[in-house]
Amino acid sequence: MSAVDEKKVNAAGQPDPNWEPNIVGFACNWCTYAGADLAGLSRMQYPPNVKLIRVPCSGRANPQFVLRAFQKGADGVLVAGCHPGDCHYATGNYFTRRRFLLFQRLLEFSGIDPRRFQARWISGAEAPKFRDVVTQMAEEVKALGPNRKLREEL
Amino acid sequence: MKAFPKDKLTAVLDTLAKQATLWVPAIVAGVSRFAPYGPGREVQLGANTVMSPKEALFPATEKIYEYSAYGIDGEFTPVDPSVGPQILFGLRSCDMQGILCLDDVFLTRGYVDDYYAKKREEATLVTLGCVTPGPDCFCYAMGVNPAEHAASDAQLFDLGDAYGIVARTAKGEALVSALETAGLLSESDKAPLPTGDFVLKVDAEGITEKLQHMFDHPLWDAFSRKCLNCGACAYICPTCHCFDISDKKRNAHCGIKIKCWDTCMYSEYALMAGGHNPRPSKKERVRQRFMHKLRYFPERYGKLQCTGCGRCIAKCPVNLEITDVIQQVREAKIDG
Amino acid sequence: MSDNMRNNVRDNMGHMNNQLTQEMRDLARELLASGEVKGLFGWTKGSRWYLTPPVFITKPEEADRLCYDEFAVNNLTGLLLDFRDSQDKIAVFVKGCDSRGIVRLVQDNQLKRENIVVIGVPCPGMGDKGAVTDHRQAQELPLLAKCLECRYPNPVLADRTIGAVTVTTEPSAAPSGATAEAAKGRGVGSKEADRFAQVEAIEKMSPDERYAFWQAQNKKCIRCYACRNICPACNCRECIFDSDKKNWVNKAATPTDNAFFGITRAMHVAGRCVECGECERVCPMDIPIMAMNRKLIGDLNELFGPYDAGVKADEKPPLGAFKLDDPEEFM
Repeated sequence: MSAVDEKKVNAAGQPDPNWEPNIVGFACNWCTYAGADLAGLSRMQYPPNVKLIRVPCSGRANPQFVLRAFQKGADGVLVAGCHPGDCHYATGNYFTRRRFLLFQRLLEFSGIDPRRFQARWISGAEAPKFRDVVTQMAEEVKALGPNRKLREEL
Repeated sequence: MKAFPKDKLTAVLDTLAKQATLWVPAIVAGVSRFAPYGPGREVQLGANTVMSPKEALFPATEKIYEYSAYGIDGEFTPVDPSVGPQILFGLRSCDMQGILCLDDVFLTRGYVDDYYAKKREEATLVTLGCVTPGPDCFCYAMGVNPAEHAASDAQLFDLGDAYGIVARTAKGEALVSALETAGLLSESDKAPLPTGDFVLKVDAEGITEKLQHMFDHPLWDAFSRKCLNCGACAYICPTCHCFDISDKKRNAHCGIKIKCWDTCMYSEYALMAGGHNPRPSKKERVRQRFMHKLRYFPERYGKLQCTGCGRCIAKCPVNLEITDVIQQVREAKIDG
Repeated sequence: MSDNMRNNVRDNMGHMNNQLTQEMRDLARELLASGEVKGLFGWTKGSRWYLTPPVFITKPEEADRLCYDEFAVNNLTGLLLDFRDSQDKIAVFVKGCDSRGIVRLVQDNQLKRENIVVIGVPCPGMGDKGAVTDHRQAQELPLLAKCLECRYPNPVLADRTIGAVTVTTEPSAAPSGATAEAAKGRGVGSKEADRFAQVEAIEKMSPDERYAFWQAQNKKCIRCYACRNICPACNCRECIFDSDKKNWVNKAATPTDNAFFGITRAMHVAGRCVECGECERVCPMDIPIMAMNRKLIGDLNELFGPYDAGVKADEKPPLGAFKLDDPEEFM
């Protein structure tokens, strides 16, 4: 894939200054989703690029979710859950940590920029952190441009 | 016969590629298969391909229509099955025979598959006589002549330092005259090289009749024990033609329908909507594969559904060889 | 090597194979005749000199069909999955690499250890049939790459053994038993250090080159699932790739759908792959599947400490466990 494909282009193949990244976020019900809720309640401003999907635990988000998101058009994927030690199910996020440390490397090995797939620990009280993470990731992915890799053909 | 020297092959292919999409046997990313000819294509005429050429007429995955449905309003946009004129160059007799099997299924008995029919109609088939049979070849036992195939549009013969070419149909004549116009053909009086000896020896005489009495034979148990139920044999086979219609949803309302290869080796293949599976284990699936090729198909269409190309023998992970199945079936005792 | 010496080596190998085959048949006959096992997976001589495929026998008189030589490459342990719901006791012959598949299946609760009789065999290293030039006449063949990179030439567990092979869970142990000399002479394990070479080569590419490399491989994939079906670690009763009704996966064999399969398969065996290399061997499209598996093995070793799957049944696979002080990159 050429470098041009990786840049923001519109249907006519011209660079599109209005392009906005599409980021799918898998948020743990007990921490991150509550944190996102709090950010909203507190009227914090953050970019609307992240579409959150609530999962019972960050450990529920398995690698197929991530791949499927990329197939269906995501430019970036975020998995976020409770801080290690805070898991509602005691240990779920410890498994998440191992799995996604590995998965991020495998995606990189497959040619996907690791910045397109990130994981973060965001507690229910960390509304500012949620805002910052989302803002930062939106900026990073925006800089990377649209993702065409793994995108469904047909 | 008319002929062109082997060192003019590139010129011949270049000429033909101007007329149509030209499929040639080639090495693509390390695997030999038929692929559209173009710059940098690594053409390989010396041995048959790992993948059969059926994918030119019956692609592994093919979009057949788009749909959208909002409430009671549905919309349906069919996909044009035409891919424009195609030339399949350098088919072996076994693969030509394989296409005849596909023709039987997709074009006869009142059932016409438009997607296959259109591509078949647009295709010109150029076969190449075999000189050196591969280690897994046994076409002679399946009633196929490795030296030439009567159903091809044009036949190539290996004359040593040149390829002889004979047109058999109007499409073939058009192709030959295109080469003549390009000044590539000359007259040769050399005889085609003879076909060499086969490594595999097998005799399939009476196999269909024998199998009619063997549905419940314990042999199927034995064969299936080592089978992995993978689909390698079916997907590289020139005659296996099963497909599934599946969809890819864009969202809750719209999506596309696709036609894609499927195989009786898979557990889901015979699974019914209610959950019943008439072929619940490996045994039934393995039996189906060989029964279909050697009994059901000949019963319905009057020809074996195996052309002896040997691909499944070469690639089976556990060496479940159809030649061995034929041998053991012929030797098997039938009770009563 | 002179032709004479080469012939000698081959004669010695032939002699050894005959002896091992004899031991194999005797043991199989004994196990089946005594009723200790209901059936037995072994190898038999195939249609050509370089083929020694799997066979399943149930009667003592069938023991003479068994055969063992440097082409008995199939890992038979995956075939045991057909018996996972059965109470029948089944015997299986295992080489070093295969034996780790038994640990895999037992650890994954797919088989009861007491229902399998594991028979360890010494391994001379397996010949690469891709190098055959004469299909009628036996010839000397180079070893399969996976045998050159072998780290477990001896079975890691066995209830019985033939050919005086040593059972050991020690990695990189020298080949033992009747074929020890042949194995060493042929170079079994001699390129152990190279097993991550392909991974490193791919890592050196740019991201776009890596993607293009895998796209070319995924374009070839025909989704025959031979890699999955032969794998002792791919033992799910219901695989997500067996049904497209749930719309998770699709039968469409497009490069990205194939990538979805390839990456998912690799992640599902991550930390559980026993490195028998069978997935790559059986791939009809020659996709370098082990590069994917090895990438994960290397990273797991680096992240969570060295671990060899399928060696010790009481050690949990790395993705089935955690430590409080695991590396923290996400924050």
